Amino acid sequence: MSELPDLHKAMAEALPVYEAPASLQAWAREEARRADQESVRPGESPMAQSRSRVWRFSDWRIAAGFLFAAVVGWGAASLRPIGGLTPSTSATTNQLVDAHVRSLLPNHLLDVVSTDRHTVKPWFAGKTDIAPPVVDLTDKGFPLLGGRLDYVDGHSAAVLIYGRRLHTINVFVWRTGTAEPRDGSFAVRGHSLLHWTNGGLSYWAVSDAAPPELEAFRDAYMQ
Amino acid sequence: MRHADGATEVKKPESPQAGRFERVVLPHLGAAFTLAMYLTRNTADAEDAVQEAVLRAVRYFPTLRDDDARAWFLTIVRRVCFTAYGTDRRGADVISIDAPGLQLVDDREQPDAATSRLQVQQRVRDAIDQLPPLLREAIVLRELQDFSYTEIATVTQVPVGTVMSRLSRARSRLAGLLQDVVDFGDVA
Repeated sequence: MSELPDLHKAMAEALPVYEAPASLQAWAREEARRADQESVRPGESPMAQSRSRVWRFSDWRIAAGFLFAAVVGWGAASLRPIGGLTPSTSATTNQLVDAHVRSLLPNHLLDVVSTDRHTVKPWFAGKTDIAPPVVDLTDKGFPLLGGRLDYVDGHSAAVLIYGRRLHTINVFVWRTGTAEPRDGSFAVRGHSLLHWTNGGLSYWAVSDAAPPELEAFRDAYMQ
Repeated sequence: MRHADGATEVKKPESPQAGRFERVVLPHLGAAFTLAMYLTRNTADAEDAVQEAVLRAVRYFPTLRDDDARAWFLTIVRRVCFTAYGTDRRGADVISIDAPGLQLVDDREQPDAATSRLQVQQRVRDAIDQLPPLLREAIVLRELQDFSYTEIATVTQVPVGTVMSRLSRARSRLAGLLQDVVDFGDVA
């Protein structure tokens, strides 16, 4: 028996360890460099910014700024004015922002780390009677990062976490109560909130991304 | 602390330094492709899966803290293989029509090599190929890619105990097929 190889040796002899094909390596290197360049903040290292890219992160931020200005301008009359909150709404939004900020502390963000909606949804099913739609919005620029349970303003909330570039969007979902604020946008301490209700559920999206980003998220999510 | 240029850097999770993704994730492309090959058993799917995994990894990179980047990246690769490329998690073990076991054949062997040795190697490949995917990935990560139990637990997102039980089941299945040519210690 002693001349027989052990499993480790037998597998090492029989099974190939692959190299990624050269074309894949080249593509991945390109992709990595582009990602690394985009993640450099404007001003931090301007020379590192790629000049050949048509659409860069800095452009996106400027565009988001313009879009925000446009939305605010257009909506000034028809939408709820940002800031004019009733005391109870203000308590809710404050707690939501607290919960959002708390979630960004190290290791607090996710209870179930998954980019797979088929994992996140059953995870909620075992823990709460709220069944928020869990949709994969990666194609629309909002990758699903995972889920969490939270308790905000007297509500048990199911929380879905989506990414948006370098931002995180927490979506709090609970059963619609009697004293719901009207749907609309809010701003609290530099964070944006967007509230809507649908099918007996109340949704609050909270992020430090610009308000138009949250509206784009809501539209993608509710489709 | 991996600072290639030796310069003092302040850690800013939201603003990774230039070149960081390339430096941290890309060295594991080969390990990623190997895992994808053993899960999809087909070069085209493995390439697609790794490509998709790189795109996802770029997006989620800000969520990677000081963890093991290799395990983190392979977690994504594995998820892509299981969700997008039809690797059957349950273990019914559907074999790709394109490549029924073919992809595990290493044809670099010289024709004059000892026939019995080649036969043994072919039997090992066949045996690995027949394992259900969850057992196959565990044994490949452990024996071929030298992952620790903890790393396998991270990649496969199960507790370490489950990893050990899968490895043990994989070993006893392989022992049933290969005990005359491989030394399994006291398992066989």
